[in-house]
Amino acid sequence: MVANTRRAVVTGLGVVTPIGSSPAAFWDALRAGTSGIRTIRAFDPSALPCRIAGEIPDFVAKAVIEKSYRKSLNAMARMVQLGVVASQFAMHDAGLPKGAVAPDRLGITFASVMGATDIDDLANCSHLASVGPRQAIDMEAWGRASVPEMPPMWMLKYLPNMPACHVTILFDMQGPSNTIIPNDAAGVLAVGEAYRAVRRGAADVMLVGGSESKINPLSQSRFNSFAHLTRANDHPAAAVRPFDRDASGTCMGEGAAAFPLEDLDHARRRGARILGEVVGFAAGLDRGLKGTVFARVIRAALADAGITPADVDHVNAHGVGIPAYDAYEARAVAAVFGPGGVPVFAPLSRFGNLGGASSVVEAACSLLALHHGELPGTINHDNPAADCPVAVHTGPPRPVTKPFAVKVASTDLGQCAAVVFKKWAG
Amino acid sequence: MRRRVVITGMGVVTPLGHAVADLFASQVEGRTAVAPFTRFDARTMPTTFASEVKGFELSRYLKDAGRYEHCGVNTKFAIGAMRQAVEDAGLLDEGTGDRGRMGVYLGSGEGAEDFPALINSIGAAAVAPAYRTADPLVFTREILKVLDPRREAEVEMHTTVGHLGSIFAFEGPNTACQTACAASSQAIGEAAELIRAGDADVMAAGGAHSMLHPLGITGFNRLTALSTRRDSPRTASRPFDLSRDGFVIGEGAGIMILEELEHAKARKAPIYAELTGYGSTADAYRMTDPHPQGRGAVRAIADALADAGLRPTDVGYINAHGTSTQANDSAETAAIKAVFKEHAYKVPVSSSKSMLGHLIAAAGVAELVICVMALRKGVLPPTINYETPDPACDLDYIPNTAREVRVDHVLSNSFGFGGQNISLTVSRFRD
Repeated sequence: MVANTRRAVVTGLGVVTPIGSSPAAFWDALRAGTSGIRTIRAFDPSALPCRIAGEIPDFVAKAVIEKSYRKSLNAMARMVQLGVVASQFAMHDAGLPKGAVAPDRLGITFASVMGATDIDDLANCSHLASVGPRQAIDMEAWGRASVPEMPPMWMLKYLPNMPACHVTILFDMQGPSNTIIPNDAAGVLAVGEAYRAVRRGAADVMLVGGSESKINPLSQSRFNSFAHLTRANDHPAAAVRPFDRDASGTCMGEGAAAFPLEDLDHARRRGARILGEVVGFAAGLDRGLKGTVFARVIRAALADAGITPADVDHVNAHGVGIPAYDAYEARAVAAVFGPGGVPVFAPLSRFGNLGGASSVVEAACSLLALHHGELPGTINHDNPAADCPVAVHTGPPRPVTKPFAVKVASTDLGQCAAVVFKKWAG
Repeated sequence: MRRRVVITGMGVVTPLGHAVADLFASQVEGRTAVAPFTRFDARTMPTTFASEVKGFELSRYLKDAGRYEHCGVNTKFAIGAMRQAVEDAGLLDEGTGDRGRMGVYLGSGEGAEDFPALINSIGAAAVAPAYRTADPLVFTREILKVLDPRREAEVEMHTTVGHLGSIFAFEGPNTACQTACAASSQAIGEAAELIRAGDADVMAAGGAHSMLHPLGITGFNRLTALSTRRDSPRTASRPFDLSRDGFVIGEGAGIMILEELEHAKARKAPIYAELTGYGSTADAYRMTDPHPQGRGAVRAIADALADAGLRPTDVGYINAHGTSTQANDSAETAAIKAVFKEHAYKVPVSSSKSMLGHLIAAAGVAELVICVMALRKGVLPPTINYETPDPACDLDYIPNTAREVRVDHVLSNSFGFGGQNISLTVSRFRD
């Protein structure tokens, strides 16, 4: 049985985010405290209660995607395009072009959720069957006239498993392919599943990724209705405030990140550059958001890694900026590390809640921190909230002094997970 | 020694019954669930029929069913299936076992969009004279007036599996995947791997899906994926038949309780069967069309057999993906032949979808439940509506009539849009 001796290392990184679309640009922005949150420009947001979001200002998929794949862009929602491009960047960064890995030894675990339809796609369909506000849809007209007006590939544009599908085609990945969907925890859950797959020998390389775009009229409307979004529209860069006394809600964003998890022997044989290592994982469900199960999951991840709280340089939190959820996350971290017992880092205040992609993009920050030996500050944390007993590092970067970082994540229903990264020392 | 995974409970909510026994009896009797749509007015749609769940009431499964009224239909079905499975396994009492070592893994779809809110708001925003674009400002203003926040929160994809864990006090790993038609089989396979890795001792695994709403049906119709045999809905799902023209969409949910063997034995849990093999591959070929020779399917089947330590000749029955599309049924036949070689002509193959329709994300679990029952009862369900053989599909598909055969190992295939191929083997349990 090979499972016990195989190790999983990170051998590349690709990012497409509101604060940078290369690891170098992203890292510079993290160090500088740059915010990517602004008034939405993709469409007129003035009817929305929350009008700000983490937008990627300059993403044109056609300019960056593999040339041979350009014509497929029409069948991809923005969420899918972001994921495919980030994955492409990651594979190139890792020195893994198509054919570099035996196809059946190369797989993907991707975190993404259903895309929201572009309203233009259904404009004519809707015009033909809508009788008026709050009226029943004319289904006779829908079947007869609207159906032929729906773009033939409409469904495929938005399916959650399409980023993974396109990436498998682009890189001839014939190993396991899965798409993980529980929103804020999906990324860590995807890392964990890929980690276990590499360790048991199901694949030699598993690309882990996540992508999301909530910058569209339908998503923004829906999330404004239920997702505790901030109304601090006049100061977008300061609006989302992790673990802060003046937190007033979150905002959504868009972004993607990907990194290959590779069997260490496979990486060494090809002389790969190693950015870090995954050494532990655990997951659970904290019913009622009490914090006790979340704490137990964090402890289980540390135990899986064979380490103790004292070995951890920092905890990378979701820090979503919604008071009740921040308090729950802080409770869990404090239960494991003691109140204020470990530096906490929360990058979300820079780019918003990236939904299904959030914990992958957030995790990328710790990979970079461990690799560069510095932990950036968390922006918009000025006065700790009384019910958040965590020590959030703010201001300029501080040195990384211990080898391990823990990425934690939880949904609003308590689906929680933790993954432990180790600094690569060679 | 690898930790072994056994099945200690099952539950289903399907168009052929809301209990495992009813589903299997229907399959053996060759009964179809396909009928004209009642869920919405589909009379002018290209496809006017489906396999609908009938007579489901959440209050049969939950005392406080009203608390979940805003949940999607898929979530409600999932709760019903999980209730049956957890009770079946003797794990209903929250005091039984270490709940932190009991998780849930679903292959599940999204909740349904609020169709009238969406279409009316886009309609109001559609820009004259061409009406090919919609004004975002008008759209957002209109839709914000009519969205129900409680309903919208329940459309999010993490809610179904999250509710299952909360309601039934399963506090272990809680996750879900969405790989289309392969999703619940993939959930079962990955849940088994979590148990094998020691991340859990019990995993409720399966799936739930309902796309019987106008946008879902229209989307599939535009992909030409659905049968349009309007003059004869009951014979529309005809896997492997020469005149097959697409799948018949269904809905439903299923849950299997997977459990580590020693854990099951320690609490004297009833053991239905053992989950012995899991293969997971990608075609890396097209968005929907399977690879014509089924190259990904070939390896998924081979990997599942290798994982189980089985030779092709050990397999007594194959429950096919068998969607009744031209592409899948011939590619799957080619894949079975590539792995089983001359034995392919000796092992019976049938498609549950001929009667059940295609439950999309829930297809894999419903079909694996049927496989377990086939093992236990020594009866293999047929492929119904099989009338005209296709030269490209020349295996023994158990045409039209069930067959009494005692088998020890069953293979189940699920191949999804997006190219994910999942094969599972279940085996008669031997200690």
